[in-house]
Amino acid sequence: MIFEQLSGNLLQGVILGGVYGMATMGLSLIFGVLKVVNVGHGAFIMVGAYVALTLFQTFGVAPPLAVPAAMVIGMALGMVFYYSAIRKLLKGPELASLLATFSCGVILEEVCKQLFTSEARGYNWELGKLDLGFTVLPHAKLLAFGGSALIGILLYLWFHKTRAGMAMRCVVESDEGARVCGIDVDWEYALSFSIGIGLTVVSGVLLTMFIPVGINPYMGGSYTLKAFVIAVLGGLASPYGAFFGGLVFGLIENGSYTLFAQIPGLEPFAMTRFFSFAMLLVILLLRPTGLLKAK
Amino acid sequence: MKTNRLSIGLLILTALLCGFPSLLPAAALKRIVIGHPEALSGQYAKAGEQAIGGIQAAVEWVNTVHGGVRIEGRQIPLDYKFYDCESRKESVTSLLERLITSDKVHFTMAPYSSGLTLAGAPVTEKYGMIYLNHGGASDKIFEQGFEYIVQTIGPGSQYHAGTLEMIRHLDPKAKRLALAYEDSEFARSVMDGAEAKAKQLGFQIVFKRTYPQAVADLTPLLSDLKASNPEIVLGGGHFQDGQLLNKQLADLKINVKLLSLIAAATLPAFGNALGPLAEGVMGPSHWEYGVTFSPEAAQKNELPWIGPEQDEFVNLFKKATGQELIPDYHAAEAAAAVLALVAAVEKAGSVDSDLVRKAFGELEFMSFYGTWKIDATGKQVGHDMVDVQWQQGERKIVWPLATKTADVVYPKPRFK
Repeated sequence: MIFEQLSGNLLQGVILGGVYGMATMGLSLIFGVLKVVNVGHGAFIMVGAYVALTLFQTFGVAPPLAVPAAMVIGMALGMVFYYSAIRKLLKGPELASLLATFSCGVILEEVCKQLFTSEARGYNWELGKLDLGFTVLPHAKLLAFGGSALIGILLYLWFHKTRAGMAMRCVVESDEGARVCGIDVDWEYALSFSIGIGLTVVSGVLLTMFIPVGINPYMGGSYTLKAFVIAVLGGLASPYGAFFGGLVFGLIENGSYTLFAQIPGLEPFAMTRFFSFAMLLVILLLRPTGLLKAK
Repeated sequence: MKTNRLSIGLLILTALLCGFPSLLPAAALKRIVIGHPEALSGQYAKAGEQAIGGIQAAVEWVNTVHGGVRIEGRQIPLDYKFYDCESRKESVTSLLERLITSDKVHFTMAPYSSGLTLAGAPVTEKYGMIYLNHGGASDKIFEQGFEYIVQTIGPGSQYHAGTLEMIRHLDPKAKRLALAYEDSEFARSVMDGAEAKAKQLGFQIVFKRTYPQAVADLTPLLSDLKASNPEIVLGGGHFQDGQLLNKQLADLKINVKLLSLIAAATLPAFGNALGPLAEGVMGPSHWEYGVTFSPEAAQKNELPWIGPEQDEFVNLFKKATGQELIPDYHAAEAAAAVLALVAAVEKAGSVDSDLVRKAFGELEFMSFYGTWKIDATGKQVGHDMVDVQWQQGERKIVWPLATKTADVVYPKPRFK
């Protein structure tokens, strides 16, 4: 029975971890290029959740088809916040950009509260389920995982096979060097921030395919915390490393539950959180740049 | 020398009276103010908005229909001042300090949730200020020796008492009970009460586990729960987690005879979010639109009636919030707390905290919310809860039998 449970939880953990990884790519991209820690990260995930919800409920658009709209909305939001706030603070103390991203998050939360109220919402998009005997996987979850993996691959290809992607990698290596080569560094910063936010908003859409309920303006906080852990696991500045970080995190979270549940007197769920953050601390002490080296 | 002492004495007295308006004689009162740090943002924002709407409706009734608070032949207007505590404990304490020392309110109201209520209680105790608890159900609040807290919401330990009695009534053979709930003050109190009641009724607790607040995925816990093969599941905590629990039970095809979720399942958002997956899910509620409490019922029970009738309250609530919205129990219990305060102040003939607290202890009445009575600790003991069940997209009262608006569907429909 325990092996059945463990297998089921690990499989569920891999799938959820993939979506978590996708939700962290934007954070890692922004940190990698701009060295800005986006503390308002979760609020952008929340925006994505509302994009999926609104398109589904108002126009009957299936959640996967909301991804392009989410990318466009996210990139537009990224551009607005970059040119209105972040750009001016890039050369300032790190705390300034930290507070600016925090403010962006609060602004988004309050705007969404005005638009959608603080009610916890959800939608019901049933695609059927895959019953494996030891666990049940809804097709929507599998689709969310597949979508996350595909976006991870596309991002990798974009970075390595396109001029724009390579230009961005040049900026990561050295912004001075990139300037000498004729790259418009300011534009690369704007584009990175914009793509990073776009990816984060898209991840909000995919997360609702996994968990289509409890959508509310303040839902982002817990995802921000998880994203920081995953970003460290995946290599702080590596967006596709974040995807693998997510997989590792999902495995740790779900796998450790089953093991802690065997110890009498322990609340296993509380212990999984303790375990995740203890691991984060150990990794930071041993490898401050994360498990996977940033590229 | 004597004049100096007299001046200093007068100064101290003036400072005291200005600092603590509840010490002012009734004749000097121009208005009575309730101060309230409530959640308008953060995780409890929805409940907070409802509570404020309910309080504003009750205050409107007191001032326009009742004619104000009646003390010593005078009718004094009731006023209400609130701030957003952002669902944060540290904001609750600082806002209460501000309301008491700067805004000089006469009475304070606790914010929604047991955790926030508990956080504010030491502040109001320090100032000897009445602290009306409209949304903090945990029994633990009343085990701390606080003297000025007065509860209107029912205690957490009683939430599932009716549910379990109903199951025994319907299915004497049902035995295997699972408890899966949020690790919060409120949910712990509810589930400890449910466990005690369940054992008393001969149920076997086959699973009892908590999950953290703001949880994003419950799959590991629910896989664990499934292995215990329960017939009945009681669980939840607040709002988002209740929806998540229901959704993921359906995802994992965990079918039980009865699923009852605290807080979440009693709100319209639950059915809206889950659609057909909510079918048959139950929840204990303090008040539902359709529960019939009336002046006639009060008379029959030899209790005084206070406040508006149900439809009058609903209209006042709609006017206060500016929305075509049926209030939920968070609004009703907050409004009932205001009605209890008015009754206690009128009984005491004063706004002095000690006199009003004594009057609260002697108070027993009925309002649109139901019956109201507290014990010596301030815990609500007079109010009975109802159980609601989602049936074809609507909440129906299914227990107790005397107040039901539909028959219970048992066992609940299976998740497909």
